[in-house]
Amino acid sequence: MMENKWELLESSNEDREKIWAKNRTFAGDVWFRFRHKPTALAGFGILVLLVLFALAGPFFSPYSYKDQNLDVVNIPPLMKVFDAPDGTGYLYITQSLKVLRVNEDGTLGTQLKKLREESGSSMSIFDCNGREVGLYYGAKPYVMADPESRMIFSSRMVWNRSYAFGTDSLGRDILTRLMYGTRVSLLVALIAVLVNMVIGILFGGISGYAGGTVDGVMMRIVDIISTIPLTLYVILIMVLLGSGLQSIIAALGTVYWVDMARVVRGQVLSLKSQEFVLAARTIGSSAGTILKTHLIPNAMASILVTVTMLIPSAIFMEAFLGFLGIGLQPPLASLGTMCNDATENLRSCPHQLLIPALVICLIMFAFNFVGDGLRDALDPKLKK
Amino acid sequence: MEPILKIDNLKTSFLTSSGEVQAVRGVSFTVNRGDILGIVGESGSGKSVTSMSILRLLPDTARIKEGSIEFHGKNLVTTSKKEMREIRGEKISMIFQDPMSSLNPLVPVGKQVAEVILQHHPDTGREAVRQEVLELFRRVRIPEPEKRFHSFPHAFSGGMRQRVMIAMALANKPDLLIADEPTTALDVTIQNQILRQLRELQEQSGTSILFITHDLGVVAELCSHVLVMYGGLVMEQASIDEIFEHPGHPYTMGLLASMPDLEQDKRVRLRPIPGSPPDMTNPPKGCPFAPRCPYARKICAQECPDLAALGEGHLSRCFLQYEDAPADAHNPFRNGE
Amino acid sequence: MSSENILEVRNLTKHFKAGRDQIVHAVDGVSFSLKRGTTLGLVGESGCGKSTCARTIIRMYDPTDGSILLDGTDITAMKQKQLKPYRKKMQMIFQDPYASLNARMTVRDIIAEPLLAHGVVKNRAEANEIVYPILDRVGLTKEHANRYAHEFSGGQRQRVGIARALVLHPELVICDEPISALDVSIQAQVINLLKDFQEEKNLSYLFIAHDLSMVRYVSDHVGVMYLGHLVEMSEADEIYKNPLHPYTRGLLGSIPAADPKLARRKEKSGIEGDIPSPIHPPSGCRFHTRCPYAKPECAQREPERKEVGGGHMVACHLY
Repeated sequence: MMENKWELLESSNEDREKIWAKNRTFAGDVWFRFRHKPTALAGFGILVLLVLFALAGPFFSPYSYKDQNLDVVNIPPLMKVFDAPDGTGYLYITQSLKVLRVNEDGTLGTQLKKLREESGSSMSIFDCNGREVGLYYGAKPYVMADPESRMIFSSRMVWNRSYAFGTDSLGRDILTRLMYGTRVSLLVALIAVLVNMVIGILFGGISGYAGGTVDGVMMRIVDIISTIPLTLYVILIMVLLGSGLQSIIAALGTVYWVDMARVVRGQVLSLKSQEFVLAARTIGSSAGTILKTHLIPNAMASILVTVTMLIPSAIFMEAFLGFLGIGLQPPLASLGTMCNDATENLRSCPHQLLIPALVICLIMFAFNFVGDGLRDALDPKLKK
Repeated sequence: MEPILKIDNLKTSFLTSSGEVQAVRGVSFTVNRGDILGIVGESGSGKSVTSMSILRLLPDTARIKEGSIEFHGKNLVTTSKKEMREIRGEKISMIFQDPMSSLNPLVPVGKQVAEVILQHHPDTGREAVRQEVLELFRRVRIPEPEKRFHSFPHAFSGGMRQRVMIAMALANKPDLLIADEPTTALDVTIQNQILRQLRELQEQSGTSILFITHDLGVVAELCSHVLVMYGGLVMEQASIDEIFEHPGHPYTMGLLASMPDLEQDKRVRLRPIPGSPPDMTNPPKGCPFAPRCPYARKICAQECPDLAALGEGHLSRCFLQYEDAPADAHNPFRNGE
Repeated sequence: MSSENILEVRNLTKHFKAGRDQIVHAVDGVSFSLKRGTTLGLVGESGCGKSTCARTIIRMYDPTDGSILLDGTDITAMKQKQLKPYRKKMQMIFQDPYASLNARMTVRDIIAEPLLAHGVVKNRAEANEIVYPILDRVGLTKEHANRYAHEFSGGQRQRVGIARALVLHPELVICDEPISALDVSIQAQVINLLKDFQEEKNLSYLFIAHDLSMVRYVSDHVGVMYLGHLVEMSEADEIYKNPLHPYTRGLLGSIPAADPKLARRKEKSGIEGDIPSPIHPPSGCRFHTRCPYAKPECAQREPERKEVGGGHMVACHLY
């Protein structure tokens, strides 16, 4: 038993007014809920990796996005090779019926010198360290064989160590081009964010706050802009600025903020009649202060979610334009133009399409997951 | 008197981003047939969570952690979801605080009430259901019931919607009606009408009512017994006259003292309860009211007292009413002796 | 120059447009004056126009007709820019302590906002000198200043709202249902705080509420509104002891007794029916559709406001 249990309890005002909840800022609270959602966290992780890949990757790559090497055209990441008769390394048959030496560690060596054509036996004869080897093209798949004994060399699958993702039809390293392509995509994402954050928020904020006629006129402008198809818009701008990244940026910059403007306007309209905004007006705060300190911060949740949802569509837009051939001009690489280039020899080299398409998917997934997670984390109604 | 609802040591918690909120921390009470039991408490006292636990209408993040809710001898905590659906609206029905959002705006009100009847009695004929609904509308005094039958909720005022809600709740002649702050969103004039209505309906049908409110005045108008809740616990339980004449807990005393009545002298300051209600993520170790209690002793901050008899049918959770409590000037129970 | 009446409202009218050709008669010809250092309570059901009245006086809405004199100056037609110096004299406390504070701001920034808006202080550091004492005055501490509004309980938030309204030392404070969203145990805290400030600073309050017992306790005068009209006005005690208008009687009869014995004995008075729509208010006396004493005359002619002695005004054909 405790002593003096009947002594009066001293309790101060501080005890009675104490706030027990942890002092967490809004951002802290959002982060807390965000990191408890596995998909959102995964999306965020993928994004970080993609950014590293795009920004730091090219420094570690021995190739540049435009280096052509016509000796090594359309090499896949996984090669079917034949044992070289001299026992050092392998031989690989390229699509243009040349023979490449492949070292034992999987890196690519030099081309073999062609000695002669034996059309009678459907063979090209190459010189391999002084020994003659034959490429038999009488039937598919083509094989390497000894021209005398007509014995087929044993074959195996080997990973391409020189070009991890293979090369394209001009012999450029796909991995390096992928890094540059991701750069372009992220740049487009960044521009979409900037445009939305600046023009979209300002336009929507002013429209919603001013209301009345001003709102009517501003929203009609938005309506008009959003009825023009973006593709048409880009083509028109290309006529003016020439094709290239600058045209895509200009197109995004001029029209890509309309959805955001609508969202912000809607938020501002509903927030404007809330008591804390009325309070600010009775205090005598200026319209700028009210927008800056009351309306926009409270609309931030919807703004962030809209941005993360708009980014994938902007990236996809760029890829789509690139795919149509009206985006970046060669030799610049973007994920869309890479897909476009790959369509030429889709049959023989499907990986050239598959790899950039997968990266597009990855980027879109990541942004969508992050957007989803942010929406849940920012929505106080879902607060658990 | 026959008990129809018996709650024993109910504990319900919520999981939140800042930890577990123990909304209800061991509540026990009984509702007898024909009783109107009032539960009074402020926001965060656990009164609404208690009522939601009875019907198992808790949000996904909430769990009933302990205790039993016996309704006609059946434990509702362990009843299957299907059986629970049959009990809801048929044996136990509920009226909510916000009459604006508890009706579907796209369905005529008559049809909404009819659906409640058909849900539990699917073989009733169309005309019979219609007649039943019109009779219900008449009973809750909705003017021109035939015309109103096809109206949509937006054509109704708040008071009228609450009447529709009451009609809906009474449609299947339930044994127990849970009313969760049904008049809080209404004006005093409408509140007065609804309270009279509830009392009349109770007298006619003998339905037991569990009436949840924050307003002691409303309780005085309607209820026969009262439960005062604070910090997820029952602080006091007594008949309505006892509560007002001999409040048996410092919290109840504080509540009564902080309400001005119409004869209040303006020069006399009100005597509010200082401080704010406890945060249930971190409930006080001892009595939840101790930090705000003017009579609190050292023991109150360390241990939580048990609910003990103060008089006949009068329970109170306070150390100062215990036998061994000193009868000094700071004991509201003894200082007169 | 300071006049005896801090606020004078003459024939104040506010109509809203509601869709095509429909007009909401929210406030219709309300006149009253408020003496310096006193409290005027405005009561009535929701939809009676009491909140619109308050918001029109503080010029959140532009009045349709009538005039508002703040400390002798006509502020009815002033533009928001001209109005700014007068806003210092007139502040407002809101009903909902959750909606009236910006959840993204700290308490310090909330209380400092009026100081910065009127250039009383230049930066936050200077603002602290004023913010800390007033926080202490409303029972909160320095530690609370860095907290966000959403972390506070309802009563604490309302005290922050009061601190924000009083930090500029206004002369008139409009309290728009300041306690109706608070728990019973907290209401008295807020009322005591408001009363203390009134004594200390000779503040005048326009106190809007539907809790009639609290209105009686805080007010010197009480006005009763019904569908945009001021139907009765008098000294607070007089109106409760001797209510004249049938609406006032019904309203008082509807208050729960807070005493079970009284509740059982009390004759079942009250008002039947609902408040009619302010878009098509009833002709004549607007209360005649629900009035137990209605005469044919009531539906035809609007009753004039009559003084029945002792400053007791009533608008009813019975008198």
